[in-house]
Amino acid sequence: MSVSARDVAQVAKLAELAVDDAELPALTAQMDRIVSFVAQLAAMPDLAGAGTFLAGPERSPLRADVVNPVLLARPPAAIAPEFVDGFFVVPRLGALDGT
Amino acid sequence: MSVRDAATAVGGRLAAAGGLNAVLAWSDAALAAEAARVDALPARGALHGVPVALKDNIVTVEQPSTCGSRILAGYVSPFDATVVQRLRGAGALIACKTNLDEFAMGSSTEHSAYGRVLHPLDPERVPGGSSGGSAALVAAGVVPAALGSETGGSVRQPASFCGIVGIKPSYGRVSRYGLVAFGSSLDCVSVFGRTVSDAEQVLAVISGVDPLDPTTANRPPLEPQSPPASLTGTTVGIPREYFPADLHAGVRAACDNAIATMKELGANVVDVSLPHAGYAVPTYYIIAPAEAAANLARFDGARYGARQHSDGDVRALYRATRGKGFGAEVRRRILVGTYVLSAGYHDAYYNRAQAARARIAEDFTRAFASGVNFLFTPTTPTPAFKAGEKTDDPVAMYLADIFVCSANLAGLPAMSIPIGRFEGLPVGGQLMAPPFAEAGMIAAAGVLERHLDAAREVSP
Repeated sequence: MSVSARDVAQVAKLAELAVDDAELPALTAQMDRIVSFVAQLAAMPDLAGAGTFLAGPERSPLRADVVNPVLLARPPAAIAPEFVDGFFVVPRLGALDGT
Repeated sequence: MSVRDAATAVGGRLAAAGGLNAVLAWSDAALAAEAARVDALPARGALHGVPVALKDNIVTVEQPSTCGSRILAGYVSPFDATVVQRLRGAGALIACKTNLDEFAMGSSTEHSAYGRVLHPLDPERVPGGSSGGSAALVAAGVVPAALGSETGGSVRQPASFCGIVGIKPSYGRVSRYGLVAFGSSLDCVSVFGRTVSDAEQVLAVISGVDPLDPTTANRPPLEPQSPPASLTGTTVGIPREYFPADLHAGVRAACDNAIATMKELGANVVDVSLPHAGYAVPTYYIIAPAEAAANLARFDGARYGARQHSDGDVRALYRATRGKGFGAEVRRRILVGTYVLSAGYHDAYYNRAQAARARIAEDFTRAFASGVNFLFTPTTPTPAFKAGEKTDDPVAMYLADIFVCSANLAGLPAMSIPIGRFEGLPVGGQLMAPPFAEAGMIAAAGVLERHLDAAREVSP
């Protein structure tokens, strides 16, 4: 098995995704199945010098440097989870250290 | 028929088709408002009074846009997608929002938080995915056309399963502004129609450069054309890698029949090779989850998403919101995407997949440079499979995309048309063309459509 439960827990932390301990074994088995499947690219023989494929226009056009009104059908307060006195409300950031 | 009558009629059909679970939002009142809006337009547009359904990852101001996810339950966008604005401007009636695999991640429309969509011909089977709701509605005759989206074949595969036409345009042909992002280098708004002409007319309306999407190509919109009488002067390439020895017998028989018809119509049919075709699915399932992991980071309960309250700090809020809000397949793909992008694995997976993508695209460039006008392949390895058949094995589900995801990786236009039936189930044939050669591909499909009896049962 190339993916361990510890790997899945670490990746879930990086992805900011809560994963219950109870679901970890099944998730680990599925992740291992998927990662083992995509790992077959290691057998692809002629990848050296292949470069990167660019989808779409090679040079993205820039918009004119003009400030235009934002054409919203409803204001940000109507789509924000919490919005008080003109501010988006989220929990405090203070406890970030050590998480 | 007046626009109001058309709206009433489509409302009746939507109510009658409720058992398919193909629709996430519609109402008689919304349809009446749409009819009034169309009637008030100063001139008749190309789609005057034509009902069009929208996959629910295309945002609209009037109805919720959930992406088939709990995390966006009830979310209403403050703006319309560019494709919606263009449909409205052409006089189309926006009929409803359709069910889909959550955030367009799936091949069966079983991964929706709002339940699976039933195949219109056999309720025990899936309609394909991820745009299964749109496909089922068109196949059931509820609407003549619908929008879906493709990241790795999510319109052509359900079109094949449901026996309708599905067109994926070139990357950059249609604006992605207002399409909720999954894999930004792959995503394309795409079209379903009951006929090639229906799909072409809708694609023509929504195509063209958009200043709100810098990845749109600076090209004029497509112009619908009458198909020619024959395929004389057309060279059709048959990539041998798409016809493996274990290809489903019914699919092979239908393709053989379509190839014979192309020859009868004057086409020069030649054997070609796309040597890296077998690596398309693993390449796709590295690049698409990597882009998804980045794009879906915004659904965290602070920027977007139904917030799960937590006693901890802001990261606890993110984790709780995303852990409860996303379904199993989306969570798997976010985890895989984060894994292949993480330090230590980036070179082995993501960078290698980028190189593989370049090789896959080169195969197509070489084939078209050899004088081939378009390629013909099966759209799917089998007809529609049974619900639950592949849900326990993600890789088995991913392999349902084996013939369709290459066109997304290479940014090519491609389409599926019905070419026959096996044991009553539709079989689709796929055409793929060089970048921005949609017009020729659609014309050839129109000729084939006219001469193939798609309702005919094939015998292996």
